[in-house]
Amino acid sequence: MNVIEFKDELFQQGSEKGFKDMEIYYEKTDRFVCAIEKGEVDQFTTAEVTGVSFRGEYSGQMGYAYTERLDESSIDFLLDSALESASVLESEDVEEIYEGDREYRDLSFTKEALKSVTSEEKINFMKQLDHEIYQADERVIGTNFFQIQSVEVQKAMYNNKGLALEDDKNYIIFFVVVIVKENDLTKSGVHVEIIEDWSKVDAKQSAHKAVQEAVSYLNPLEVEDQFYPIILRQDAAGDLLETFVTTFSAETAQQGMSKLKEKVGSKIAGDHINLIDDPFRKNGMASRTFDAEGVATKELKVIENGILTTLLHNRKTAKKDGVKTTGHASKPSYKGTINVAPSNLYIEPGEKSYEELVQGIDEGIVVTDLQGLHSGVNEISGDFSLAANGYYVKDGKIQGPTNLMTVAGNFFELLNQVDGIGRDLDFGPSNVGSPSLLLEGLSVTFE
Amino acid sequence: MLNQALVQDVIDEALKTGGDFAEVFVEDTFKDQLMLLGGRIDTSLSGREFGVGIRVYNGFHSAYTYTTDFSREGLLKTAHHAAQAIHGESQIQPQKFQVEQASIIHPIAQLPQSVEKTRKASVMKNAADIASQYHNSISQVKVSLLDEEQNVLIANSDGKFVEDQRIHSRMAIAAIASNEHDMETGFYGPGAVRGFEFFEDLDLNHYASEAARIAVTNLGADPCPSGKFPVIIDNEFGGVIFHEACGHGLEATSVAKGKSAFANKVGERVAPDIVTYIDDGTIPNEWGSINVDDEGNKPQKNVLIENGILKGYLVDQLNSRIMKTKPTGSGRRESYRFAPTSRMTNTYIAPGESTPEEIIENTEYGIYARYMGGGSVNPATGDYNFAVNEAYIVKNGKIDKPVRGATLIGNGPKTLQTVDMVGNNLGHGAGMCGSLSGSIPVNVGQPTLRVSEITVGGRKEDA
Repeated sequence: MNVIEFKDELFQQGSEKGFKDMEIYYEKTDRFVCAIEKGEVDQFTTAEVTGVSFRGEYSGQMGYAYTERLDESSIDFLLDSALESASVLESEDVEEIYEGDREYRDLSFTKEALKSVTSEEKINFMKQLDHEIYQADERVIGTNFFQIQSVEVQKAMYNNKGLALEDDKNYIIFFVVVIVKENDLTKSGVHVEIIEDWSKVDAKQSAHKAVQEAVSYLNPLEVEDQFYPIILRQDAAGDLLETFVTTFSAETAQQGMSKLKEKVGSKIAGDHINLIDDPFRKNGMASRTFDAEGVATKELKVIENGILTTLLHNRKTAKKDGVKTTGHASKPSYKGTINVAPSNLYIEPGEKSYEELVQGIDEGIVVTDLQGLHSGVNEISGDFSLAANGYYVKDGKIQGPTNLMTVAGNFFELLNQVDGIGRDLDFGPSNVGSPSLLLEGLSVTFE
Repeated sequence: MLNQALVQDVIDEALKTGGDFAEVFVEDTFKDQLMLLGGRIDTSLSGREFGVGIRVYNGFHSAYTYTTDFSREGLLKTAHHAAQAIHGESQIQPQKFQVEQASIIHPIAQLPQSVEKTRKASVMKNAADIASQYHNSISQVKVSLLDEEQNVLIANSDGKFVEDQRIHSRMAIAAIASNEHDMETGFYGPGAVRGFEFFEDLDLNHYASEAARIAVTNLGADPCPSGKFPVIIDNEFGGVIFHEACGHGLEATSVAKGKSAFANKVGERVAPDIVTYIDDGTIPNEWGSINVDDEGNKPQKNVLIENGILKGYLVDQLNSRIMKTKPTGSGRRESYRFAPTSRMTNTYIAPGESTPEEIIENTEYGIYARYMGGGSVNPATGDYNFAVNEAYIVKNGKIDKPVRGATLIGNGPKTLQTVDMVGNNLGHGAGMCGSLSGSIPVNVGQPTLRVSEITVGGRKEDA
């Protein structure tokens, strides 16, 4: 059964069962993964996965169900489960199926050239990268999570109000954790690259960067516990922002779980802070021309000169707050219900380079990596206490790495304590990005 | 799920390029997720996850492919893709299937899919009511209920053809306490390999009140001081620290490649003699228990560390070839999307002699971590970090005042060596463990124990 036949049959039987409006969301993913360990292919995976999510309005409530098996037996499963779900729901806010906008941005997120890169070329590149990593420094003792992935995703949405939208994208990404050892001390560094143009891959250069990062943590300095000025390097800053992204969701606010609930129109950050959501970003991990409800997306300034201009909305949250949707309905995959999430969200970059930010502090710490972000934060209060790696700075110069440390602070306070913004915005493998940020300070404890 | 003749053809196709072993994993899973917020059922989602994973080995090399396309054509194509990555010279003749149903060591009374959602909703409401009424500072309660029926078939070229049904039920209760300045949370998430009877028998008064009590306690707590202190970690979910800090290092996945601090150390002392560490997938109906692992092998009780001496590892089939040892019934995976590898089931530190009271009485100054949150570990270095969900200062052998926002950091193998008191009150706690073969249910467990020194991070600046 193909998806169109499946949909027609599903909607037909659905209306017989009493569903008013109905919609399906379809996703097909092709994936290739190859991992390398000391010159050899350690993991080789290919996959093709299809899934369909159904939502239907039944006596005023929206029931959801999904399946990965497109056959007659799943039609009964989807309709019966969604109907039963709708019957137990008690939501006061009615979710509606949308007929769609008149216009959508005409953009494609597929890079045709990447599709023609063969498995063999990818494997050969990885073997070369592996070779260069061991060549780059004699302190390299191994690698972890060393893999390349290429992914092609096709999405489609159809509903009985006439909406029919299709979208596709593809990307190639590789990760490596380089492990180095000196004086009986083992350290590691992470390197990730999203490949936009296969003709520009450079194993030697990538290996050099990855190894540089790992060896930069060898021979840590003894540094005293205290309150230090902090530079959050762009990758660490992006990770921290990503952790608190739900606080900008109107859904979270309406649930009483965001401190920004009553703050729209108020100053919540320093004057120079702009937080932008760009759904059309080239190579963005969450670029999209329509959101999970079929609403046309557009660029949005969430924080402008420190003022919170809006929260992120889908149609349901917008209706409740009496505003227009911002096009941020989101469904992480066909396995979820519709919630709210950003497209590509970032802090607008400033003027200074990372090096200039470092030169600007007498004594402080550069935080390069934050760990435990899923556990060591209170997303509601904004408090965080996290394990971190980084460098000690004295007289405007990086003196060397520190031991493992904990940094503690509060996200909402931190938004008002940014003394400098770098120009080195980078998203890494995420849809949330930041440039490096110079902060007044955080309390730091070393292991 | 798939007929034997087709499975046989898929295995034959997978072995065409000279592989010496092939395996087919078929999964048909039904899941329900309900969420209650603000006293109302806000989300209800049902799903069916269906797919087939095919694995081929040649010596120490393996290839894995998976698909949701269950047509004969689709399956043969997927097997062909796996075979293409293998360049072997074996010409093995697959063994005739010995069809079996996994023996049930964890009996189920009420299958989740046979229970109406209204009954599930009603248990959730009871939990929410208890938590909401606990204290007037409780401003929001979120209750999630998850259950799943995973039907699997595992067949391989050694003649294995095993079918199994895995049932998981879990409730997660999150309470938020707030005043004008602060919002704090409390959480409890019990789970088991049981059907709907798990929710009916669940002591909601205990779990829902505890979630609320933790939130209220944190609301009144000062920020935690930072520094190096003795840390007393309570039983049940407290075991998460050794799960991350030691358990992962005992999995063949890292041992076989020599990447673990515990590699090549069987027979050596790795911990004080008061520490015995066990993984046991056979404990009846526990959250991490299994009837059969995802490679078709029976679970067993694996003593990993006995009185401080390293005894063995958790070993899956592929790594058993590399390590020249027997698999330990530890091959697990989240779903057909993952090749299985060595993973934990119910892992715990065995009870010792001390009472929890003695441990506190013997601590002059330190941190008492009553409920642990999540954490992670860097497998290369053994460095870990954990959040503490409920913590207290211990002063002069007595529990003093609550503190919030504590994080523990350190190095796993080193922390293991500094355990200096082990209690007699073993308890298990349910969690989800993420690693190479996906996110799987595991229990972590321990009695109350003390580590002589851990680095504690907190926001209090004048510690």
